[in-house]
Amino acid sequence: MYPLERLVNLVALLLETRTPLTFEQIRNALHEAYDQTDVDTAKRMFERDKDVLRDIGVPIEVVFTDAWEVEQGYTIPKDRYYLPEIAFTPEEISALFVAAHTGGEDGTAEDAVRKLLYGADGGVLVGMARVPLTAEGGISDVRLTAAAEAVLERRSVSFGYRTARGQASERLVDPYGLVCRGGHWYLVGLDREREEIRAFRISRFSTDLTVAGEGSEPPEGFRAAEHVQGGPWGPGEPEEPARIAFAPDVAWWATKGVSGAELGSTRPDGWVEVEVPAGPGDGLASWVLSFGPDAEVLEPPSLREEIVRRVEATLAS
Amino acid sequence: MPPERKKVTRASDRLRRLLVIVPYMVQHPGTELAEVTRLFGISENELVADLHLLFVSGLPPYGPGDLIGVDIQDGRVWIDMADYFSRPLCLTRGEALALYLRGTALAATPGLHEATALKTALAKLGEELGPETLRELPLRVEADGGGGHAEMLEVVREAVSGLARLRIEYYAQSSAETTTREIDPEEVFFAIGNWYVAAWDHLSGAERLFRADRIRSAEPTGECFEPRGLAGAGRPLYSPTERDVPVRLLLRPGARWVAEYYETDEEIDRDDGNVEVVLPASRLEWVARLLLRLSGDAEVLEPAELKDRVRELARRTRERYE
Repeated sequence: MYPLERLVNLVALLLETRTPLTFEQIRNALHEAYDQTDVDTAKRMFERDKDVLRDIGVPIEVVFTDAWEVEQGYTIPKDRYYLPEIAFTPEEISALFVAAHTGGEDGTAEDAVRKLLYGADGGVLVGMARVPLTAEGGISDVRLTAAAEAVLERRSVSFGYRTARGQASERLVDPYGLVCRGGHWYLVGLDREREEIRAFRISRFSTDLTVAGEGSEPPEGFRAAEHVQGGPWGPGEPEEPARIAFAPDVAWWATKGVSGAELGSTRPDGWVEVEVPAGPGDGLASWVLSFGPDAEVLEPPSLREEIVRRVEATLAS
Repeated sequence: MPPERKKVTRASDRLRRLLVIVPYMVQHPGTELAEVTRLFGISENELVADLHLLFVSGLPPYGPGDLIGVDIQDGRVWIDMADYFSRPLCLTRGEALALYLRGTALAATPGLHEATALKTALAKLGEELGPETLRELPLRVEADGGGGHAEMLEVVREAVSGLARLRIEYYAQSSAETTTREIDPEEVFFAIGNWYVAAWDHLSGAERLFRADRIRSAEPTGECFEPRGLAGAGRPLYSPTERDVPVRLLLRPGARWVAEYYETDEEIDRDDGNVEVVLPASRLEWVARLLLRLSGDAEVLEPAELKDRVRELARRTRERYE
């Protein structure tokens, strides 16, 4: 008997049985499956099959079948085996289908949605697969879900990490939250060695996560998103606002997606003035410089001076 | 016993697949094999092989009336006597987490019309799978799209599904210029925080990738096009062209991210902690703007023409502040 046939029969038998079945009863029922003359060999094969079923998420319950608790019986409880009925609208199923196809190469999210679409109109979904709205996953579903599990269980994790500056190190972190920003996932938590809350981009993990014991609770009022880089100019609370003028060619898109940006007046020459929240550090100056002569800082004077200083350094090099 | 072990592993994958595919076929009698193979990412040979094993399976005593009925005719399939497989196996915790997280990320991308349905779907998923599956995850996950809101996204997506040619006004970062052109858009996808359109570009007579948030206006020309089968999602965001010039840069630690962010042909880690990279570029304008932004953190090694471009750009920028 082929292993697949044996496994299908075993699932069907344990799902449909009214009372838990002992191994002896299973062996008799599935007559060709565990028919080795040596009972121990047959039992080992059954144990392996049970592990396979548990691995793929089939719940198997083990209960004693006699008052003396000698004999064990097996059953698959229907309420835990079957997917509950979820009344998704066709739009919702389509949206989930699209989302699942943005996952990593290991396809865990795709496996999930395939279980949900059994009642849906497959023709419509296949049509969508023809024009996929596929986002590049970048990171594996496995690493992402491992991070989520650690956040849920409040378990310390260690992992290899490479900073944006290319430095590699081993980190030990108490995970507090997950943030997705600008298409990247970040694990936010307490860096135990540096004793600071930091954000770690999951695509920069150089190893899988290893659980390293109990974690800690986040401080009161903790919000993970506050610890992840806000604008194109780096992390931190906005300080004073900066006023920047953009040339007509770039003004219509320059501050899209920049939170807190406020469009001001359009000048007669077509340039548009925008107010943006400035953060600490030199990130804002870098961002303005990336527009070259198509942007000009109007205020504050310190930022103007910084731009001039950097442009002159480039001219002098 | 490695061979036996291997066989069992394969059988477990096939079983996992069957416990999901069979319910779909039970719910859709006479469904086309081709539809199943495309929905479930499985080849027709694999599917037929699995179905052949299925119809010798069933319940004891495995008489004719106890076995699962599988009928394949003219590329369609009917399954009966498998009521116990009419609903799929429940999601594992890992599957539920993966789908929830991917859905949350996509729902936060700017300008997506499915976002509302996606959010209600994720809420239903969390509720129906029970509190022990997703637990407090919704409270501990936050997503915002960042990136630019692409106002023309819906127009472009409609053109993709209707195979409609578009006339667009586009700002190209590579040349820092706005141009009007006609494109045949074949695919739209989201990558690293932005929406992209893979299209045939009639202006350059070549395949091009456009950032959707840099399309200022888009209008159907009224013509339709035949898809050319362009590579869409999953393709590298940069595709080399014959006009590419190798640009060699020295990156100090503050500019290290450039090596990660852009496609590079070569990367040499030097002993002093700096990196030397070669970026292919068909236009120099964007590289010049990048260097202006990096200021002292990067240095041009070649071509010499680029050094002049950077200096010229710096001079024009300096003029704004006089």
